[in-house]
Amino acid sequence: MKSLGSARPFLILLAVVLAVALLLGISIAIPFGLSAYLANAIGQLATFAVLALSLDLIWGYLGILSLGHGLFFGIGGYVVAMHLLKHSYEVTGKVPDFMQFMGWKEFPFYWAGFGYSSYAIVVAAVVTLLIAGVFGYVSFRSRVGGVYFAIITQALVYVAMLLMFRNDTGFGGNNGMTGFTVMFGWPIGLHGVVIAMAAISVLMLGLTLLGCRLLLESRFGVLMIATRDDEVRLRTLGYDTLLLKLVIWCLSALIAALAGMLYVPQVGIINPRLLSPDLSLEIAVWVAIGGRGHLIGAVIGAVLVNAVKFWLSAAAPELWPFILSGLIVLVALVFPNGLVDLAKFKFVRPMISKRLTETPELR
Amino acid sequence: MRRHCIAAVCVIAAFASTHLWAAGAERADLIGKVCGDATAMGEAGRSLTRIAADGSPDDRGWAALIARALIDRKLSCDATGAVMASAVGSLDASTGLQRNIGEGSRSPLLSLKNRALFETAEAALALRSAPDPARRSAALRTLERQASNLPEQLFDAAVREEADPGLKTQLSAVAQAAALNSQDPAKRIAALGRIAATPDRRALTLVRPLVNDPAYAANPDFKRAVDAATARIDRGIAVGDVLATLYNGLSFASILFMAAIGLAVIFGLMGVINLAQGELIMLGAYVTWLVQESLRHLAPGLLDWYLIIAIPFVFLITAAIGIGLETVLLRHLYRRPLMSLLATWAVSLFLINLVRVSFGTQNLQFVTPFYVTGGVPVIGDFIFTWNRMFAIAFATVTLALTWALMQMTPLGLNIRAVTQNRTMAGCIGIPVRRVDMLAFGLGSGLAGLAGLALAPIYSVNPQMGQNFIIDSFMVVVLGGVGTIAGTIVAALGIGQVNVLIEPLWGAVAAKVIVLLMIIGFLQFRPEGLFAIKGRRK
Repeated sequence: MKSLGSARPFLILLAVVLAVALLLGISIAIPFGLSAYLANAIGQLATFAVLALSLDLIWGYLGILSLGHGLFFGIGGYVVAMHLLKHSYEVTGKVPDFMQFMGWKEFPFYWAGFGYSSYAIVVAAVVTLLIAGVFGYVSFRSRVGGVYFAIITQALVYVAMLLMFRNDTGFGGNNGMTGFTVMFGWPIGLHGVVIAMAAISVLMLGLTLLGCRLLLESRFGVLMIATRDDEVRLRTLGYDTLLLKLVIWCLSALIAALAGMLYVPQVGIINPRLLSPDLSLEIAVWVAIGGRGHLIGAVIGAVLVNAVKFWLSAAAPELWPFILSGLIVLVALVFPNGLVDLAKFKFVRPMISKRLTETPELR
Repeated sequence: MRRHCIAAVCVIAAFASTHLWAAGAERADLIGKVCGDATAMGEAGRSLTRIAADGSPDDRGWAALIARALIDRKLSCDATGAVMASAVGSLDASTGLQRNIGEGSRSPLLSLKNRALFETAEAALALRSAPDPARRSAALRTLERQASNLPEQLFDAAVREEADPGLKTQLSAVAQAAALNSQDPAKRIAALGRIAATPDRRALTLVRPLVNDPAYAANPDFKRAVDAATARIDRGIAVGDVLATLYNGLSFASILFMAAIGLAVIFGLMGVINLAQGELIMLGAYVTWLVQESLRHLAPGLLDWYLIIAIPFVFLITAAIGIGLETVLLRHLYRRPLMSLLATWAVSLFLINLVRVSFGTQNLQFVTPFYVTGGVPVIGDFIFTWNRMFAIAFATVTLALTWALMQMTPLGLNIRAVTQNRTMAGCIGIPVRRVDMLAFGLGSGLAGLAGLALAPIYSVNPQMGQNFIIDSFMVVVLGGVGTIAGTIVAALGIGQVNVLIEPLWGAVAAKVIVLLMIIGFLQFRPEGLFAIKGRRK
């Protein structure tokens, strides 16, 4: 924990993140040549970093791998998309595409109230907590963990994707939802609005980083790491690890939902592909590549992998899967702690004599 | 004796001559009608249809010529009868001898109504005597709509003589429907009995409307026959549906089992969930395709047997890939199950894209060999299809061989020992790493065989593995690790539940319910159905 999780690198990262947020904020008031495209890309990277943080919290610090975090990301995204569609409809009177497609004249009853942003946020939180809470309680109570937990969460997100692919559920079906025009009364394509969304995303990343750090520094954080390293011993000592795991699991789900809420307005579309098991697996890959069990690692992994992906998906899209799989194998075989290990090479001498130790993993 | 014979010959000769004579007179009479007014022509059309039903082959051949010529307007009437234009010159319509057209000839024009009559007659004649099955089938389609107005003997005779089995089934179906609508109640009741003998939904649509038939209220015998037939068909359909559901469930379960057994062996032994298992299934199907294509070029005579010939190739190639995977990658991730999960996902990503780049994304075309085509209709709408049977039989043989390997060979003994207690197995001298490698090869080879079994049933493309992987995970999680029995029971259970729920609420709901059931089930048995007893990890 001390080597890289110690204060200095973390503070540097936090400072960089906040500086980027500030820079973006300034460029709204005084434009200095920052293109909307670049700002949008930065904003998206920030939401991916928040998502990676949410997974790192439970995988890196609690040893529970979820391959279904895309579900919570998707819940946040879908709720925001519903709010934006309803809001756009109320302002412009344009009937959403999926309703025209289904031949519906009115919104389904469960869309009531989604015109209010505060209501939408509450719904996102409640739904996320409900699903995460019930599923987490049921799984942790029967001590389903390790690979079993990973597989069941993957099935969960897969089933959610199948459900969302149906056109009669009233959530856009396989075309998803798009055509958001207005956000808080502002036209969504406006240069300033795009940059503001990016700035808010980066700011949220900074706040999440800070929040996670404070949580891990607290006595609660110490218990988390103790649970990861030897849960049986902690239980024997009289700690209720079920409650502890459940709280962190729900918190992680909430952070993932927050990432989804920030992500969807920036890309302007949501469809069930967001819930595909592959995306959820990719989140774990970002964290693994960056460095599991380090907040910095999760952020760096998400930003680096996605930046390369953005760049390659324009330059050589068919090359990307090969590079990604090569990266994973490289991390799995050579850098058990991800790119964070690179930093160790630099700081610790002689580098060969120091064996790389891996963050322990629960079975 | 001889006297008898002579008498018989005389009788036959006399009969033949009268018949010929009668036929000659009838033909002349018919030609007269053809050359007459519209009413007479209509009668002629109906007579032609009657000839199709009960005429001699000779008569039918003649009638077919007349009908065709009249429709094509190749027939001209003159004072002595009619003349047909043909390739060999003009022929007399009734005798078939060559003669020239007389003075003042005219070619009769069919009215719209009469044209329909003659077309029917022509189709009826073609149904009986056309040599080409396609022509007969086209004629049947023409006649189908007016089956009840045609003479019953027509279909009976056609069914008797038909050589093509597919056409014969269609013919008897039309004949039954025609008999059902005939005027004679006894015939209708007999037809009802015949229809109820093959109880399926088609029969029900024939019989059910008869409740509104006037005869249903008037004739108690008919009413009884209709009610009995309906009840018998309903019962047959119900039994058939149950059997069909069980059969579909069983075939789905065999595919699940094939996909999951390799996964279960690997997971039980090494605690590694192999996310590339679906891609090994896909590779198995691609190797099968390669074998098929090689056979097509090298030994076209054996092409139909490619599914059997491919078995050793598929198993060895996918097993070799698996062993390579274990040696290069997974061996180094020992004790890091979650990292190996991600590493196998990387492999799956790599394999999908490798296949996509080298073969393209389109579905591969497979020859359907004769032993996986068609089926045997059993009862109701249940058809015992051979392609599903192939999957079931293949899974059964695989199961038997895997079981024998695990229970009867030294390798199986070692695998079971390492699965139960890795450390202790190592202590008593079992080469744990070698067992890992071979077991991984076995699991991969089994996945390849699953791909082979899927090749003639499913669409084969680089993405195909993704469709099975989550279902087969569920089988492994539910079945518990390290036991073949658990995998079988879980595959059967998930397969049947899926097939039972699907018709009620749809495929997606079936998946949701199965997942919820598994999560609920794990509450009681977190280690799966047939977990090996031992210390909980």
